[in-house]
Amino acid sequence: MSTSQHKQKAFFRRPTFNFRLAFRLLGMLLVIMASSMVLPVSVSLYYSDGSQFGLVAAALVILAVGLFLRNFLGVGATFELHEKESFWFTAIIWLVIPLMGALPYLFTSTVTSFTDAAFESFSGFTTTGSSVLTGLEGKPQGLLVWRSVSQWIGGMGLILFVVAILHRLNEGSARLYEAEFSGTLQRRLHPRMARNVVLMWAVYSGLTLALFLLLYFGGNSFVDSLCTAMSTVSTGGFMTHDAGLAGFSDFSMGCITLFMILSGVNLAVLFCIFTGRWRQVRADEEFVRYLIVLLVAALLCTVSFSIAQGHLQWRTAAFSLFHIASTMSTCGFYTASPSVWPMVVSVVTFLLIFLGASAGSTGGGLKFKRIMILARYVRNYFVTMIHPRAVLSVKVNGTVISNSYVTRIFSYVFLYLLFVALGAFVLTICGYDIPNAFCMAAANISNLGPSPVINNLGASLDYVSLLPVAKWTMMVLMLAGRLEIFAIVSIVLPAYWRPRN
Amino acid sequence: MQRNTTVGMILRPLGVPLVGEGIAMLVCLWPALHFGDGSHWGILSAALLTIAVGVTLLWTLPRRSATAGATDRRLSYLTVTLVWIVMTLFGTLPFLLVGIERTDPAQGFAFSNVHFSISLADAIFESMSGLTSTGATAFADVEGLSPTLLLWRSATEWLGGFGIILLVLAVVPSLGLNKYSLYTAEASSADNTGKTSTSMRTMVQQTLATYVSLTLLFVVLLLLSGMTLWEAINLTFTNISTGGFSIYGDSIARFTPAQQYILAASMFVGGINFALLYNFFTLRWRRIGRKLDQFCFFLLLTLVATAFVVVALHRQGNLPFEDALRYGIVQTVSVITTTGSVVADTNLWWTPIVLLFLFLSLCGGMAGSTTGGLKVMRVLILLRSVRNTLTNRLHPHAYNPVRLNGRPVSNEIVTNVMVIFIVFVITMLVGVLLLMLCGVGATESLGAVFGCITSYGPGLGACGGFGSYAAFPAVAKWLCSALMLLGRLECLTVFILFLPGFWRNR
Repeated sequence: MSTSQHKQKAFFRRPTFNFRLAFRLLGMLLVIMASSMVLPVSVSLYYSDGSQFGLVAAALVILAVGLFLRNFLGVGATFELHEKESFWFTAIIWLVIPLMGALPYLFTSTVTSFTDAAFESFSGFTTTGSSVLTGLEGKPQGLLVWRSVSQWIGGMGLILFVVAILHRLNEGSARLYEAEFSGTLQRRLHPRMARNVVLMWAVYSGLTLALFLLLYFGGNSFVDSLCTAMSTVSTGGFMTHDAGLAGFSDFSMGCITLFMILSGVNLAVLFCIFTGRWRQVRADEEFVRYLIVLLVAALLCTVSFSIAQGHLQWRTAAFSLFHIASTMSTCGFYTASPSVWPMVVSVVTFLLIFLGASAGSTGGGLKFKRIMILARYVRNYFVTMIHPRAVLSVKVNGTVISNSYVTRIFSYVFLYLLFVALGAFVLTICGYDIPNAFCMAAANISNLGPSPVINNLGASLDYVSLLPVAKWTMMVLMLAGRLEIFAIVSIVLPAYWRPRN
Repeated sequence: MQRNTTVGMILRPLGVPLVGEGIAMLVCLWPALHFGDGSHWGILSAALLTIAVGVTLLWTLPRRSATAGATDRRLSYLTVTLVWIVMTLFGTLPFLLVGIERTDPAQGFAFSNVHFSISLADAIFESMSGLTSTGATAFADVEGLSPTLLLWRSATEWLGGFGIILLVLAVVPSLGLNKYSLYTAEASSADNTGKTSTSMRTMVQQTLATYVSLTLLFVVLLLLSGMTLWEAINLTFTNISTGGFSIYGDSIARFTPAQQYILAASMFVGGINFALLYNFFTLRWRRIGRKLDQFCFFLLLTLVATAFVVVALHRQGNLPFEDALRYGIVQTVSVITTTGSVVADTNLWWTPIVLLFLFLSLCGGMAGSTTGGLKVMRVLILLRSVRNTLTNRLHPHAYNPVRLNGRPVSNEIVTNVMVIFIVFVITMLVGVLLLMLCGVGATESLGAVFGCITSYGPGLGACGGFGSYAAFPAVAKWLCSALMLLGRLECLTVFILFLPGFWRNR
């Protein structure tokens, strides 16, 4: 057999199962997860809230499983990862980690059913923020911290942890990175992947630390500041009170709003902001449009609230900005909302749920960049309808977007809508009416979580009373939204498992 | 190009459709005289006015030169949209003129003494709904309308259904818009290079022959099943055109099972590509060959959906199996062909069925049929293209085009399908939002947008089932009319008129 034939054979082969490497990566992640539980455990020890034994037990189990996978099953792994494998790697990591993350909820007896624990954990790691817990004031503090820690870990992407550590993965790390961050949407901060990831983590941790300090010195309790900071920067949205952020001071709300807006921005742009590269920031078309849409939507909400209330208050404007920032960054925070809730606000909010945040941020949704590319493509299309010989290209930030990439975005949007439709279908089977089913499915696939718009559409959005089937469906949607669909859909295709020729 | 010739070239194509519409109005004199409902003057004046305008346009304006059509495609887009709008405007004449009343009958005819019993918004809505073969009605009490208007409603749907087939099969290719015609993807009379093998005149003749003979066939079938001639004509008109108006308030619920099955058959036939039908009935089977991808997918979709609905109705709705079977078959066919005839109050059905109906109506029937929605072919191309995108990520260097009937579909068509899909979705989202801003409830808005843009007709809630759009505010009715037009002309043709570049002379 000649070399070229051989190469071709190798290219079209079945996805291999480098189980050892998978076990190794999983094991490492579990160890990291267990060590991150130091934070909730120490909080619960400090407050002696009764959850310390459960949390310690969960941490030990996770650690034990992690070490077992890493040091026994994963021994002697070859650090080689092919394109096809990266999909099922990503999927399996994102399945196992949230499931293990459900242990603390079960061990502290906060929730009784496995479904609820898994729901809470998936909602955490995917930074959705839909919660089945009620009476948060009565829950152990350590567990509340764990909820936010899970969001913080999930916000940046589980795999980035591994990539940062595993220098030996070389090309494989880039593949995993792309599988988790949906390809070229994320600009690299540094040509070297490992360095890039470290920088991303630095920006992310810096933001979190800044918000934490602001909130803590703004007069909030340690746990409130910590949890809210982590939930905000990861655009997760878990809160520490049943009333949401209603008890926070104006200063704290201002800080949270600002940081929500920042978390919806591409990390690369944030990096430029922090290092003072203003020209690059201003040249980023997505960033500019993100801000414009945010401000215009907030203005629209302010106006309609003011009309509904009959007078204009600064508080109304502040609330509108908070609400729009919370929706666009897909945080899903809520606070005491005005008694009158005009239809315009609900309508704008619903559109923004689909739109989501900037590409390369921790937020969810369809992402600004994709919508921009699509809009420009459609505009070009209209021009070619009149002038069929015109050759037009789609440019974003001066880069020409290839046709095949546009096709991929079209497919992405189609699959996104298909998932929303299927999710809504399952919800209607569980007894929801059609508009609410659509809203809930959209809120979960865009990793928004709770949203006042849905309450306004008729029924109360209550994840507690969902049927187990519906909860599992919502988990699939959250995961699909977080992994940007392709990684999930690819592995269920027969073509993925079939060798060609 | 001289401005007056341009105007002439835009307006002249309106002549023939207007004359046709006027003749259809003349036909509606039959019930006026037969039932003696006193509407003969109204319908006669509407008919004469329409014919007069049409004939004037044909006589006074210069003939379109042979080369002009291909050179400026802007004219073509404008013409296509204008035909539907002008037809709709003239289609309101019967509603307005028959519904005209004197506030004080003792006095003579004066403008201050006249009022229209049917508002302009209602008339436009009904006329648009008919000509786009949507079947959404603005009248709460259909049976209270005079028989003349009932036949006129049915006739507009029949005309509209015929119009859309002509547009897709004959007019669009002849205007040089081939590249964007979905029909070029279906290889029954055009090949993939876009050259039609059949001339426009032949195409029109074939379509007309098929449409008329199918209409006659179903009228006869319905007569044999025991309907009166009046019912048979009206219902055939509205069902073969996949429109869905009925002359009764309960749509087709009152008919016998056999009659409902015949109606379902007529809807299904209306959902099939007319070139395919022509080739099938004239025994030109070799031309069809194996180019049946779209038909098979359509059939499969209908069967699977019907099976789900029947089982769901039987299990969840506790209906006896015969009823569940009949309701399931008739209603699912009505939905997927975007007809909108209603066999039972679907508002009371299990919510997943109702949601499934929304999705099915968006799918629509085959391209080149009278149905609305995205068309099964586009859905098929979309699905295959998405599948290819996914497999292309696994095999980045593989040549893997979207295939239809075994042959690769050109990139232009795939792009066209994707753009139409996206524009449809955005239009629907914006439509729902605008309707909600008009004060329509969330459920009704959602249903109305699906009902109007897919030309299915009935929506959800008050406007679903046996309901009507009567309770909508006037603004919402205008909006729904616009949505019907957008859906029928597949959005792009209409939206392009709003592009600044469209009106700019280079």
